[in-house]
Amino acid sequence: MTEKRGHSSRSIVATSALALALAIKAHAGQTVDQYLSFSEFGTLGVVHSDYDRADFTGNVVQPTGAGFGGSWSFTPDSDLGVQANLTLTDRLTGVVQVLSRENASGNFSPSLEWGNLKYDFTTEFSVRIGRILLPTFQLADVQNVGYALPWVRIPLEFNYADSTEHSDGIELLYQMKTGPISQLLQAQVGYSDENSPGADFGTVRAGSELLSDTLQYGNVSGELVYQHYEHTGYLQIRQDLFGMGLTYDPGAYFVMTACNYADNSIFGGAVAGYIGAGVRFGNVTPYGFYAITHATSEGTSDLAHLGNEHTVAAGLRWDFVSNFDVKLQIERVTLDSVDDTAAFADIQAGARPGDKAHIVSLTMDFVF
Amino acid sequence: MKSTGRYILVLLVLGIGQVRADELVVIVNSAAAGMSKEQIADVYLGRSNDLTPIDQAASSPIYVEFYKKATGRDLAQVKAIWSRIIFTGRGLPPKQMVDSAAVKKAVAANPKAVGYIEKSAVDASIKVALTLD
Repeated sequence: MTEKRGHSSRSIVATSALALALAIKAHAGQTVDQYLSFSEFGTLGVVHSDYDRADFTGNVVQPTGAGFGGSWSFTPDSDLGVQANLTLTDRLTGVVQVLSRENASGNFSPSLEWGNLKYDFTTEFSVRIGRILLPTFQLADVQNVGYALPWVRIPLEFNYADSTEHSDGIELLYQMKTGPISQLLQAQVGYSDENSPGADFGTVRAGSELLSDTLQYGNVSGELVYQHYEHTGYLQIRQDLFGMGLTYDPGAYFVMTACNYADNSIFGGAVAGYIGAGVRFGNVTPYGFYAITHATSEGTSDLAHLGNEHTVAAGLRWDFVSNFDVKLQIERVTLDSVDDTAAFADIQAGARPGDKAHIVSLTMDFVF
Repeated sequence: MKSTGRYILVLLVLGIGQVRADELVVIVNSAAAGMSKEQIADVYLGRSNDLTPIDQAASSPIYVEFYKKATGRDLAQVKAIWSRIIFTGRGLPPKQMVDSAAVKKAVAANPKAVGYIEKSAVDASIKVALTLD
């Protein structure tokens, strides 16, 4: 009950922020433009699943999707984000991003995804205070921006242990250059809303810390991350996560791979990873990926196979006009377990390990 | 043999003409140092905050050509890269100017600015850091 109230008051704040942003935009003149600009992103998507014993979802928190509730669904990937960019001085900037996407409560109530002020002490060193999406995984901080992703969505198996919705706190950013290698170091301490894998107890507010290093050397980029969160209230839960990713993108094609290991005090340990690649033929990019998550230990929950699943996917991205793309993605998802698998919600009693779901997704992404 | 030689000569002349017509230069403030191609790509793809990049209009042919030559990427790829920076609140893409004259003015006014223009538009108000071809 408390949680529901908390959620709806957040929604009201977010809706007000969205309304205010649109009102300011409508009245923005030349002088305002210097301090304020707007950016928008969105995805209009539809998913078909032939598997009627569970709902295929677009991320770990969504409670509904395609399959059991109906073979077609537009909820997994469809979203809309509006962002206000504030440039208060040369060094002080701010960002407010409001997102509407199917959330843990199963509705599209707008939520505040980003809201922070950033101060650049030097060209290399900045501090941010407020709300951010954590860069827990490769591309996790743009998980809602379909246009910035090479696939329809971040592979769900890989994303499974990333229960964090967003984090409120303080973050240090250090962008440095060592010879030909550029690095972005991020350290964040705050409170996050966590949705643990397999959790039916909803969202918990947990203290979290994150360290990440994004390295770039020519066309090669790499990510290293460590995240810890700990809830000490009625639910004693703690998770440590280590992740790494590698991308090679010379322009004509790209190869991406990443893996992570999460150790959760209740749900045990799990490894996850994926490898994917695409080739760019002008504005058409065929791609494919393989993703897997596998439980390595039980924790106190006694669920030995929590989340186990793997996916083979093939797709096509078409950048048909400036600012827009269309993606068609076909996937075969194998449930290696029926204990809250990564891609599915609402798993029915008839589901069996080894079941296969065939998923077809068609999305249109845009950014402005 | 003779005609083959003449044919190659014609090709060379045409080839040189082609390169000249397409020549693009990266310009910096007269007080600034030169830049390598890697540095230029870093600045225009948001990997470095050391300098202030200035863009041409996104609809202009020179914009497309610059990104292709300096970063090896087409517009959709550049937009996807910047989307990640914008929507994580880490920065905003380079300001777009209406034409090369406006780019020169912006670069001449800011010691940390970088821009790109056609070689034919170069004048004493700015310094050429690199020729892209």
